[in-house]
Amino acid sequence: MAPRLAAAKMMLVNRRSRAGVRPTSAVLLSAGALTALFWLEATVVPPLNWLRLHAVFCAGVAAVASAILIARRRAIKRAEFARSWLAAVPVSISTARFESLLIETLPALAAIGLLTIACGSYALVLLFAKRDEIFAPVAVWATLSGGIALGVLGSFLVPQPKPVDLPPGSRYVPHQKSRRGANIRRSLSGLGSWPIRQAFAWAQPKIVARAIVPILVMMPLGTMADTAMVVIGMSGIGGALLLVWSGVISASRLARRWLAPLPVQSGEVIRAFLLPACAVIIAASAIEALLLVVLNVSYRTAAAVGAWTAVLGCVTVGGGLTWTWIVRQNPKPRTQA
Amino acid sequence: MNGPILEIRELRAGYGPRTVLENISMALLAGEWFVLLGPNGCGKSTLLDCVVSRLRPSGGEIRIAGHSLRQAPFAAKQQLGYACAPDVLPGLLTARQCLEVHAAAKGQSVIGEDLLTLAEELRFTPYLEAFVDTLSLGTRQKLAVILALVGDPLLIVLDEAFNGLDPASALILKRHLRARIERRGAGLLLATHSLDIVEHYADRAAVLIDGRLKYVWPKEELQRLRSAHGDFEAALAAAISET
Repeated sequence: MAPRLAAAKMMLVNRRSRAGVRPTSAVLLSAGALTALFWLEATVVPPLNWLRLHAVFCAGVAAVASAILIARRRAIKRAEFARSWLAAVPVSISTARFESLLIETLPALAAIGLLTIACGSYALVLLFAKRDEIFAPVAVWATLSGGIALGVLGSFLVPQPKPVDLPPGSRYVPHQKSRRGANIRRSLSGLGSWPIRQAFAWAQPKIVARAIVPILVMMPLGTMADTAMVVIGMSGIGGALLLVWSGVISASRLARRWLAPLPVQSGEVIRAFLLPACAVIIAASAIEALLLVVLNVSYRTAAAVGAWTAVLGCVTVGGGLTWTWIVRQNPKPRTQA
Repeated sequence: MNGPILEIRELRAGYGPRTVLENISMALLAGEWFVLLGPNGCGKSTLLDCVVSRLRPSGGEIRIAGHSLRQAPFAAKQQLGYACAPDVLPGLLTARQCLEVHAAAKGQSVIGEDLLTLAEELRFTPYLEAFVDTLSLGTRQKLAVILALVGDPLLIVLDEAFNGLDPASALILKRHLRARIERRGAGLLLATHSLDIVEHYADRAAVLIDGRLKYVWPKEELQRLRSAHGDFEAALAAAISET
């Protein structure tokens, strides 16, 4: 018996039944994605060709990223397991090793699985469309999957941290201690800084900085230095946008639980969260547009992409906040009368 | 104020198809410390969740300081102070920012002197600039209680609020709460398993079993139990078993 895997499976099943996810929706989603692939078949070819052209660089980045992420996940999972409710359950050594390996490498396996599905579907689409580039998705799949798999092997070479307790998220948040005395004035500004701090806590800038060094070393492997730098910058911007967006959604949900007993207007909370997050999203979108210009994209297209990113980011953040604070604010009674 | 601080009429609530609370009716008067007792899983926290509007009841009515929680939630919450569980506090905000947010929500321009004095007495002031996720369980518990008292609410609701506090801090807090509800004419609703609080501080106590209020000890009966100089714990346990 593998208790950790069994518990994880049960939690997944419970979560799915609570959320009311049905297999039909997954099937419909897959069918929709496949239809979209048929629709967008021609537009996917150029980025795929770009990936194939920079295959060694992409594989290197995938290897470094997966090595760092898996090594970090291994450290976290081992520290968590030491305090877990299953820590004292007797398990044979081989089972324990197998389930540890599976749990620690799960994101890499999931990434390879997703790549297989995406590239396989696209190859099928190209086959039906009778296009010549049928081997492009296969080559990209082989390169990226190979890179990820190499990274997983490389993760065992990354030195493990000392077996200490997991640090609190705030360790990675830049914070200037103020000396304002005991006088405390009213302000909701703390709510605005919360998602940004959450993004820092998740990203852990120290790890990101360390990850960039090997990527820089990878640059001579078939890719021009300036292109690689811009790609790294674009990835950073994309990652930051994703983290800030997730940070706003996560923080607003936690805040709803915390502030439920308080006489606070939903509009005030939404405004407190929205303004700083939108400022960050707009700034990141502007940098993204600049980087695109550096990549020889026309000013017009770069500005359009930047504007769309900003609008999409702000609208989705606003939508998420509205959902959390207005739509879900007064849920229906949970008990049948 | 005239009338009860908290009035609960025929309350019914639960989770999904499971009904946890059935036909709960009670009133909390001004200047009263009311203790809610009961075995694990009997519905104490669910009742408090309904009172602080973290759970919407399926039936009945709750009124805080005369305001219906369903029809006038803003006015009702203005008079409510709730000490949330320490794990609900936002880990990435500083203690000062938590206080600022609560002050803004309660419409207070600054935090009152008495609350700052309590923070000083509880030796909490040095942690004002610290992130909540770096605080110990007891320190977070202190913060949760201090946050509940922002805005000098008429109704204070505490759920096992003395867990994790060192004995000296717990004593300071109990005395402060006693003095506060007498001075302000506020009401305190506390869910706990600590019978020493019933023995030394409570004005009334009630036992909740299987989602129903089985027995309420009036003030006189609690005083009679106290003056009997006997085993208070045994007397309460006997009363519970009789119900």
